[in-house]
Amino acid sequence: MSSLKRMEALVSGILRAGVLLSAALIFLGLTMMVVTGDTTCPNGNMDPAWLINGDPFFAPSHILFLGFLVLISTPVLRIAASIYVYVKIHDNAFTTITTIVLFVLVVSFTLGIG
Amino acid sequence: MYLPLYVIYAFIISLGSGTLGAMLGMGGGTIMVPLLIFLLKVPIHIASGASIIAVVATSSAAAVSYVKEEMTNMRLGMFLELATTIGAVTGAFMISVMTEATLRIIFGLSLLYAASTMFLQSRKMERSWAQRPNDAIADRLHLGGHYFDSARNESINYGVSNTPITFIISYVAGIVSGLLGIGGGGIKVPAMNAVGGVPMKVAVATSNFMIGVTAAASALVYIRNGYCDAFLTAPVVLGTLAGAFIGARLIRHVRGVDLKKIFVLVLLVLGLRMILSGVGF
Repeated sequence: MSSLKRMEALVSGILRAGVLLSAALIFLGLTMMVVTGDTTCPNGNMDPAWLINGDPFFAPSHILFLGFLVLISTPVLRIAASIYVYVKIHDNAFTTITTIVLFVLVVSFTLGIG
Repeated sequence: MYLPLYVIYAFIISLGSGTLGAMLGMGGGTIMVPLLIFLLKVPIHIASGASIIAVVATSSAAAVSYVKEEMTNMRLGMFLELATTIGAVTGAFMISVMTEATLRIIFGLSLLYAASTMFLQSRKMERSWAQRPNDAIADRLHLGGHYFDSARNESINYGVSNTPITFIISYVAGIVSGLLGIGGGGIKVPAMNAVGGVPMKVAVATSNFMIGVTAAASALVYIRNGYCDAFLTAPVVLGTLAGAFIGARLIRHVRGVDLKKIFVLVLLVLGLRMILSGVGF
């Protein structure tokens, strides 16, 4: 398989799996929230620190938030996969470009205000 | 408001705007954000936060088929993502220092802009496009490509010209996307097509491909800043995804030109209302 074909297969596979998994998690979390009335997270605000320190692990809001994280990670994972392909085909310019994009994504999450 | 009812209203609004968005070839966010603000009284920061996460979902879902049809120029997309992601992070940071009123005015202006481009599009049926060679940067990075045009039944080669200007416009598109919680395809597609010389179909597919990463960058900042309301975002993501799915099927049964004419009016009304509400009327 050519590198372009391999990239296309990899990219569409990651995107499809990410969207399906996250939609399932969000649907599950939302349904649990509405059915049980368990809306533990205050004002519905999503805070990553709260996910880690939060109380019950399988709380509806945890599953919901996990769904959002899977969804947002999907394009990030797509970038990571493309770096791997560019490294393998020794495309230095695009290895650099995609690495910077990944770096910006990581920084955007870690350097958020508040 | 009572939770399940609120969730159902948010779902219906996003289902409607997602369907329309897919039929018109634009993201659902442009129409959804004003509707959430006016109908559900959601603050603009929260409405944009829900929208940007829904944008990640729809663009990822649509990208699957575009990439498979080999319409997407992944090299050009990944190169311009450099500009759009940095722009998106800039925009998403700007939102936290902006007031509700300022953001409403900017959003209103972007709606008027979208209305005017859609009006021009509906008058001009076929955009004149001429093949251009790669410029120096595009040549070095091998940004040009080819695609199979099913309407003309031939494989078409194209180059990318004016790469630096296209790159700068993409940065601006990223800022707008991060600031307003929309995809920003309305800026990127004309930039790639008119400035960069990329065929329209490739520009649409490539813009959509980039939107996922651009929106993810903004979404991360929105979440960090607490602009992600789970009870709003969850139904909005599911509604927009379902709407995009329905819209892609409905599009074969509706005449695009008629739909665009109605939509131009909707965008105008929403845009003016956003600006007026921002000014204080």
